[in-house]
Amino acid sequence: MLTEFGKIFIFILLAVVFVPLIVYVAKFIRPARPTKEKLKIYECGENPEGSPWIKFNIRFYVIALIFLIFDVEVVLLFPWALTYQDFGFYGFMVGIIFLLILGLGMAYEWRKGDLEWERPKPIPPILDDEPPAENEELKEESLTI
Amino acid sequence: MQVELTHFLVVSTLLFSMGVFAIVTRKNAILVLMGIELMLNAANINFVAFSKFGGFGLSGQVIALFVIILAAAEAAIALAIVLNIYKTFSNVNVDEINNLKE
Amino acid sequence: MNYENLYSSLSLIQPEITISVFLLLIVVADLIFDKNKALIPFLALAGLIIASVQVILQVTNTGYAFPFSDVYLSRKGMVTVDAFGAFFKLIIIISSFILVYFSYVSDEIKKSEKNLGEYYALIFGMILGMFFLSSASDLILIYVALELLSLSSYVLAGFSKLRTRNSEASLKYLIYGATSSGLMLFGISIFYGLSGTTNLYEINTFLASHQINHLTLSFASILIFAGIGYKISSVPFHFWTPDVYEGAPISITAYLSVASKAAGFALLVRFIKSAFVTSDDSLGYWEILSVFDWHSLLILVSILTMTLGNLTALWQNNIKRMLAYSSIAHAGYMLLGVAVLSNQGLVAVLIYFFFYLFMNLGAFFIVMLIANKTGSEEIDDYNGLGYTSPFLGVALTLFMVALIGLPPTAGFIGKLYLFIALVDAQMITVAIIALLNTVIALYYYIRVLKHMFLTKSTVETQTVSVIRPNIIFIIFMLAPVLIFGVYFGPVVDFAKRCVQILGL
Repeated sequence: MLTEFGKIFIFILLAVVFVPLIVYVAKFIRPARPTKEKLKIYECGENPEGSPWIKFNIRFYVIALIFLIFDVEVVLLFPWALTYQDFGFYGFMVGIIFLLILGLGMAYEWRKGDLEWERPKPIPPILDDEPPAENEELKEESLTI
Repeated sequence: MQVELTHFLVVSTLLFSMGVFAIVTRKNAILVLMGIELMLNAANINFVAFSKFGGFGLSGQVIALFVIILAAAEAAIALAIVLNIYKTFSNVNVDEINNLKE
Repeated sequence: MNYENLYSSLSLIQPEITISVFLLLIVVADLIFDKNKALIPFLALAGLIIASVQVILQVTNTGYAFPFSDVYLSRKGMVTVDAFGAFFKLIIIISSFILVYFSYVSDEIKKSEKNLGEYYALIFGMILGMFFLSSASDLILIYVALELLSLSSYVLAGFSKLRTRNSEASLKYLIYGATSSGLMLFGISIFYGLSGTTNLYEINTFLASHQINHLTLSFASILIFAGIGYKISSVPFHFWTPDVYEGAPISITAYLSVASKAAGFALLVRFIKSAFVTSDDSLGYWEILSVFDWHSLLILVSILTMTLGNLTALWQNNIKRMLAYSSIAHAGYMLLGVAVLSNQGLVAVLIYFFFYLFMNLGAFFIVMLIANKTGSEEIDDYNGLGYTSPFLGVALTLFMVALIGLPPTAGFIGKLYLFIALVDAQMITVAIIALLNTVIALYYYIRVLKHMFLTKSTVETQTVSVIRPNIIFIIFMLAPVLIFGVYFGPVVDFAKRCVQILGL
C-alpha cells in the first residue's frame, strides 16, 4: 500500500504532467490571432507597466464594493455550517432563508445592470436651452461612466 | 512573557485612541472612515479578548463576527456615498464640503 | 433545542417578520415591474397595515422572545415585547403611514421615480431597525438594529441627488453616525468585559450583586449614551441635525425628526430601566442603582440640548433648518421627562411624543407643499403667504402654536404633563429653565407667522393652491392637534397603560 506521502507524491506527479499537457493541447486547438493587448501580461484590464498613480475606471470600485459585501456576508455561513445539524430541519431552513436573501441581493444587482461592464454612452450636457438648475442633473449623468 | 488580558486591552485602547485621533484631525473623508474602522476593530479586540480570558463562553467571538459584517456593510455604503460626493464636489475633503453651513 | 420556545418567540416578533417580508416583496416587485413603479407605494401600505394590526395586538400580548436559557439560566430574552415598546412602534407605524403619503406628494421624490423601489425598501429597512430598537433587550441586538436604521437613513438622506446639498447631507450624517456608533460599540465591549454578558437584565443582576469599578462603568455608560444621543440629536451629538435636516429630502427630514427619534427614546428608556433600575417605589419613582448617576447626566444634557436648540433656532433663515433646531429643543424637553426617572415622567414623555408626531409632521408637510410650488424654503419667501394661500397659512399657524405649546392645542397638554412631572419630582429649578426656554421658542415660531401675515412682500407672492386630497390630509393632521388639546383623556389613559416595561 501507498503511504500518505505516496498519495501526495502521485498528486504532485499528476500536476506536473497535467499542466504542460493542457497548455500544449490548447496550443493546437485554439485559434491564434494575437493582438498587442492580448500579448500583454494579464493585469485585469489595466496597463501592466507605468505609474501606479493613474486614474482607473470607476467601475472597478463598484465591483469591489459588491465583492466586499458578499464576501463578508458569507462569514456568517461558517458557524452555521458547523452547527446546523444540531438544530435539525429548522437550523437548515434558517440557512436557506439567509442564502435566499443573499441571492435576492445578487439578482437585484444583476437586474439593475451593476454587473455589466458596458454601459450606455454618456449624454453630453446641453447648455443652450436648459435653465441652470437642470444642468446639475445632466452633469451628473454625463459623469456616470 | 505571558500574553494576558491587559496586553490586549492596551492594544485595543491604543487602536481606539488612534481611531478617534484620525476622525478628529483628518480632512480626507476616506481617512476619517479608516479611523472609524479602527474604532470598530478596537471594540472587536476587546470582545474576543474578554471572551477568551473572562471565561464567558463563545458569545464574544460571535459578537465580533457580527461586528465584522456590519463594519463591511458600513464601509460599502460609506464608500458609495464618498464616491457620490466626489462626483458632485470633485474632492473628498470634509471641511471643504460645507455648502449647508450658514 | 426547544421548538415551542422558538415558535412562541417567532410569534412575538410578528410585526418585524411582516416588515422584513414586505421589504423583500418590495425589492422583488421593483425587479419584476421595471417600468411601472406605481404599485410599490401600495405594497408598502399593505405591509404597514398588517404590521399595525400586529403591533396593536402587542399591547396586551407581551413576553420575552429568544431566551438563551441553556447558557445563563436566564428566562429573559433578547427581545422584550411589552406595551411600552408597542407604543413606540405605534408611533413609528403612524409616521410611516404619513411618510408614504408625504412621498406620494413630494416633488423631490417624484423626480427620482425610477428609484422608488429602493426608496421604499430602504424605508422598510429603517422601520425594521426601529422596531427592533424599541424592543431589544440585548446590547448586540441593539447595536445591529441601530446600524440597520443608520445605514438605511444615510442612503435616504442623500436620496434625490438633485442638488449638491443632498450628497452633503448624506456624508455628514454618515460621518457623525458612524463615529457615534463606533463609540457605542466600544462602550458595549466594556460592558461585556465587566459583566460577561450583553443581556440588559443580566447586566442589571450583575451590577446589583457585584462590586465593580465605577469609573470604568461610567465611561462605558457615557460611550453608549453617545450612540443613543446621536439618534435623538441631543447636545453634544447634535451637529449633524441642522445640516442633514436641511439637505435631505423633506419627507425624509420629517421622518427622521419623528420616527428615528422615537426609536432612540425607546432605546434610552429601556436601557436605563432594564439595566440600572432595581424596582419602582410606591409613587412610581425608579430605584436606580448607585453605580452611575443617570439623573444628573440626563438633566445636564437635556438643559444644554433645549437651550442650545432654542437659541440657535433664533437666527435661522431656512425653515427646515429652523425646524431642525426646534426638533433638537423638543428632544431636550423629552429628555427632561426621562430625567425625572419615574413612571410619571415617562407618561409625560409618551404623551408629548404622541402629540409631537402630529404637529411636527404637519408643519413639515405644509413646508413641503410650499417648497413644491415656490421651490424655496427661506422664511423671507413666506412674506404675504398668509393672504395668498389662507388655508396653508392658518394650518401652519396652528401647527406652530402647537409646537410652542400654547393652549388650546395638544402641544400645551404635552408640556403641561411634563411640567407637572417635574414639579412633583421637586425639580423646580429645572422646570423654570424649561419654561424660560418655551418663551424663547415663542419668538422664532412667531417670526414665521409674522412673515406670513404681517410683512409686505417686495415681490409678488405666489399663490400656493392646494388640491383636495392634500386639504383632507392636512385636516387629518390638524384634527388630533386640536381635538387632543381639549379632550386628551384617552391619550393619557393609553400612555399610562403603556408605561409598563417588562423585566423588573
